[in-house]
Amino acid sequence: MALVDPWTVREAVRKSLPALAIYAVLLAAYFLIPGKSQLFATILFYALLGQAFNIFMGMTGYVDFGYVAFLAVGAYAFGVTAMALASLGSPGWTLIPLGLLAAAGAAMILASMVGAIALRLRGAYFAIATIGVNEGLRYFFEGANILGGSIGLYIVKDLKTLFGDEGYQFMATIAADLLMFGLAGFTVLVTAWILSSRMGFALQAIREDEDAARALGVNVTKYKVLAFMTSGALGGMLGALNWALKEGVLEPETVFFIVYTVEAIIIVVLGGAGTLLGPIVGALIYIGLNYVSNVYAAPLLEGIGIKASGLHLILLAPILIAFIIAAPNGIIGLLRERIRNPTIRRFLV
Amino acid sequence: MPDLNLLVASIISGLLIGAVYGIATVGLNLIFGVLRIVNVGHGAFIMLGAYLAFIVYTSLGLPPLLGVVAGLAVGAVLGLIIYYLVIRYLHDAPELATLLATFAIGILIQELVKAVMGPDSRGFVWNPLAAYEFEIFGYKPSSFQILAALSSLALLAFLYVVIYRTRLGLAIRAVVQDREGAMVVGIDVERIYAASFALGIMVTVASGAILAAYLQTGIHPYMGEIYTLKGFVIAVMGGLGSIPGAFIAGVLFGLFENVSYLLLAGIEGVQPLVLTRSIAFLLLLLILLVKPTGLMGR
Amino acid sequence: MQGQNKTLLIAGAAIVVLIILAAGYFLFAGGGEQPATGQQQEEQPAAGQQQEQQQQEQAPPAEEKIVVGATLSLTGKYAKEGEMSLLGALAAIRWINDNGGIKIGDKTYMLELKYYDDESNKDRVKSLVERLIKEDQVQFLLAPYSSGLTAAAAPIAEKYGAIMISHGGASDKIFQQGYKYVVQVLTPASRYFVSVIDLVKAIDPEAKTIAIVYKENPFSSVVAEGAKKYAEQQGFQVVYYQSYPADAQDLTPVLQPLKEMKPDIIIGGGHFADGQLLARQLYELGIKPKLVAILVAPALPEFYETLGDAAEGIAYPSQWEPGVKFSPDNVPPGYEWYGPTVDEFLQYFKMVAEERGKGDLVPSYHAADAAAAILFLAKAIEMAQSLDPDDVRQAMNDVAIFTFYGKIKIDPETGLQIGHEMIVGQWQNGRKVIIWPPEAAEAEPLYPMPGYTG
Repeated sequence: MALVDPWTVREAVRKSLPALAIYAVLLAAYFLIPGKSQLFATILFYALLGQAFNIFMGMTGYVDFGYVAFLAVGAYAFGVTAMALASLGSPGWTLIPLGLLAAAGAAMILASMVGAIALRLRGAYFAIATIGVNEGLRYFFEGANILGGSIGLYIVKDLKTLFGDEGYQFMATIAADLLMFGLAGFTVLVTAWILSSRMGFALQAIREDEDAARALGVNVTKYKVLAFMTSGALGGMLGALNWALKEGVLEPETVFFIVYTVEAIIIVVLGGAGTLLGPIVGALIYIGLNYVSNVYAAPLLEGIGIKASGLHLILLAPILIAFIIAAPNGIIGLLRERIRNPTIRRFLV
Repeated sequence: MPDLNLLVASIISGLLIGAVYGIATVGLNLIFGVLRIVNVGHGAFIMLGAYLAFIVYTSLGLPPLLGVVAGLAVGAVLGLIIYYLVIRYLHDAPELATLLATFAIGILIQELVKAVMGPDSRGFVWNPLAAYEFEIFGYKPSSFQILAALSSLALLAFLYVVIYRTRLGLAIRAVVQDREGAMVVGIDVERIYAASFALGIMVTVASGAILAAYLQTGIHPYMGEIYTLKGFVIAVMGGLGSIPGAFIAGVLFGLFENVSYLLLAGIEGVQPLVLTRSIAFLLLLLILLVKPTGLMGR
Repeated sequence: MQGQNKTLLIAGAAIVVLIILAAGYFLFAGGGEQPATGQQQEEQPAAGQQQEQQQQEQAPPAEEKIVVGATLSLTGKYAKEGEMSLLGALAAIRWINDNGGIKIGDKTYMLELKYYDDESNKDRVKSLVERLIKEDQVQFLLAPYSSGLTAAAAPIAEKYGAIMISHGGASDKIFQQGYKYVVQVLTPASRYFVSVIDLVKAIDPEAKTIAIVYKENPFSSVVAEGAKKYAEQQGFQVVYYQSYPADAQDLTPVLQPLKEMKPDIIIGGGHFADGQLLARQLYELGIKPKLVAILVAPALPEFYETLGDAAEGIAYPSQWEPGVKFSPDNVPPGYEWYGPTVDEFLQYFKMVAEERGKGDLVPSYHAADAAAAILFLAKAIEMAQSLDPDDVRQAMNDVAIFTFYGKIKIDPETGLQIGHEMIVGQWQNGRKVIIWPPEAAEAEPLYPMPGYTG
């Protein structure tokens, strides 16, 4: 019912516009600025990572430290689908819908299993229990020799069987990125809809005071599970596209890599947790700063005689710290506090 | 066929590494208990302590366990610097902001250590009491591992004295229980925060030195990451903020990691030592399922 | 109140820093790249030479350049390998430039290395590889370290038809995926222990049982699998095959059964930290087989510094050692000598290392691997007499060179290395010596190891 409520729809559309505009600019940059398409694809990946993560973390305040497990499971599900379809001799295009469905499905199954235990926990307990899920799964893949064990799953060959050599080239470089842009648009709409609907208010109530929300009759468990599964499914599809389709090699060591979760947190916090624009802005800054310090600043320093590896991280870390002290609620949070102009405020969602 | 000898060996080595795990987690819990901050850079401080032990032994020729003293000193200075430069601006910031800030501090420490010490994996062999080692059920625990476990207990005792037998400790406990109340009775909460943060970092850096004496090899700039992870798990297992909880959970974690190996070794076609990691995390989930605030949590 | 002022101050400082960085970004990104952009739009994939000339017009008068690109892991978990690779590649490049560069027709080209730090993170690799190819105009790349990172880079390199030379850590499986431009200079993971097994078979017909204890990791798992297969082919019995997790601190449970089992040979390991641990714990537990051979860790001087007596007699497979006796005088049939001698390489390595304040570093085989990649590339370019990647890739199939690093020759079909062979080193009296193959050996194998009681 809430779905067709015209006010909700109008709100959702209004809210999604600024984010969609940023993605449109990114998409244009991807095609128009030569030699930087992968930089924009990387920003896109991290923006999506942040957005998908944000749906649960930003809106409920629960930090899922094992979030990358959704991406990993999704990537593996996509990989297995590709292998199955290749051995069945199916036409290549079937992989995209079936693989993404499998990825989302696998991630949702994981989400419901983890949710059953972990969603009863609060704050830091939840955060750390989910670390346990991620690490436990990784060592399970390695120790029980599942899908290639620690060596990993190689699906480039299968993708080439499905799409042909030329087709694979196209899928792995351009199509995978375009599909990610599609997923990004979809994620924006989902987020905007949640923010405008009953669910958004419920999640916000949970973030403010879960017990009070429960006492007021909000079905806390239902909304938490819904948000968790949505966030997980989007993550699963992202992992499928960025790692399985684009790279074709899945190693437990690198796909269950906890640093991705930490980066997701950085991006969401930098931009502003719980906001729609936050993760996108966060990813732009985080990857932008990293790229600038890596590609320009480090060689510059080397040019004047300072030669040490890891320089750019030494530069980046204090900037991050200064940033977080200056704007603990993220950029969007800071702008909302400072900007009084109602027209501009309307776009800070 | 769980062999008795193997079982005893697993229990002893589990207890020994467990004591080190325990002390390596206590600092994390102290900081959380007082400041409500999860120190994501935890492992970097442990790594720093391990390098101190390495330097104390290889450059100064002193026993690596003296690195504990160096660790306390370095930790105190570092803790205060970080507190006054960063942490104190983040009291009222959302929990997430502090996660990010401590993460960045961790990266900074790692990269600075790497710039100074290089990326190599370092180590040493130190076994002064090798002649006195004894065998239990065919298992001969190394004397340096026993010494490391004993040092963990000593460091724990030091912390106990500070928290339960000094005025500072009294104030810390007061702040943990009731921040506003502590302020009302005239406690300078800001100073208590600084002191607790520094104390937590001191113990963590010192525990790194103990860990180095225990492991002796594999000291490198990124060695701390796994201890951040294990530290989190142990901290939650024991109950966040609880110092005895952290220590007990550390011992349990070590024990469980070692003993579960014996059970898994019987299964065909799997890698038991790798699977013990899965099992340890499963244990965490089970504990939380039964008691959502950890073993000793409130 | 005071606190608030300071917060504002810091906030202000942070914003200023950001603005400077952002301004720098746009200046560099906008200003610096305009000309490059113009070039790229006209550029055809085969216009390598033309490009070089265009770069030349802007640069101060000098020889023409060929830029080799690399994403190196200078931070993160492969930082150690990354540093060595950087120095090794720089040493080889300096040698080539000092010895007349690369001649194509009557033109002489100097080599130059352009590299970025990939943080050992595969989601950094993609944009950096693209940048190297499209903006730094690089057609030839050193692959990143490890199969995970190589897999991330490969589709991008393939898309633009840039050649990627793998010089470290990539699993054999990478070369079964049908990449056209990815080639390898070092012995593939699955063949790491071949020389060790050959050695044992040759000197001790009595030895029958082998135990394999390895780190669970994409690289060492492939090594262990390959070793098991080869040992069984050679008539050995693999009596124990166990792994440990990547960050294990205590291997006692895995090693304890070996006390009873008494295998003749123990092989395995994985990386630096765990290799040291494995050797030390075998020693402490009093497990003394006839030979212990461990991956990676024993090849470094720190191994003995750390372990002392426990390191004595430990053997290791190695891609290269500073003491190898490969020289222009013992070139095997079908190969031709190319590049620096071993002494020259050591000298050039020291030179570039000193410039970077690392003068006391001794090159590990990771340095030699990267240097070999550069030599292989230089030879292929000379043979192709062209800078077009397709011509160079074609020429690579015919390269068969003997260098300070030993033989280099690839399988034309897959790009997998088939020429290079592992050597076996051993710690004897606190010194690393080469004990296998006989033609490269500096000393007799210490076999059985000290302390072996039968």
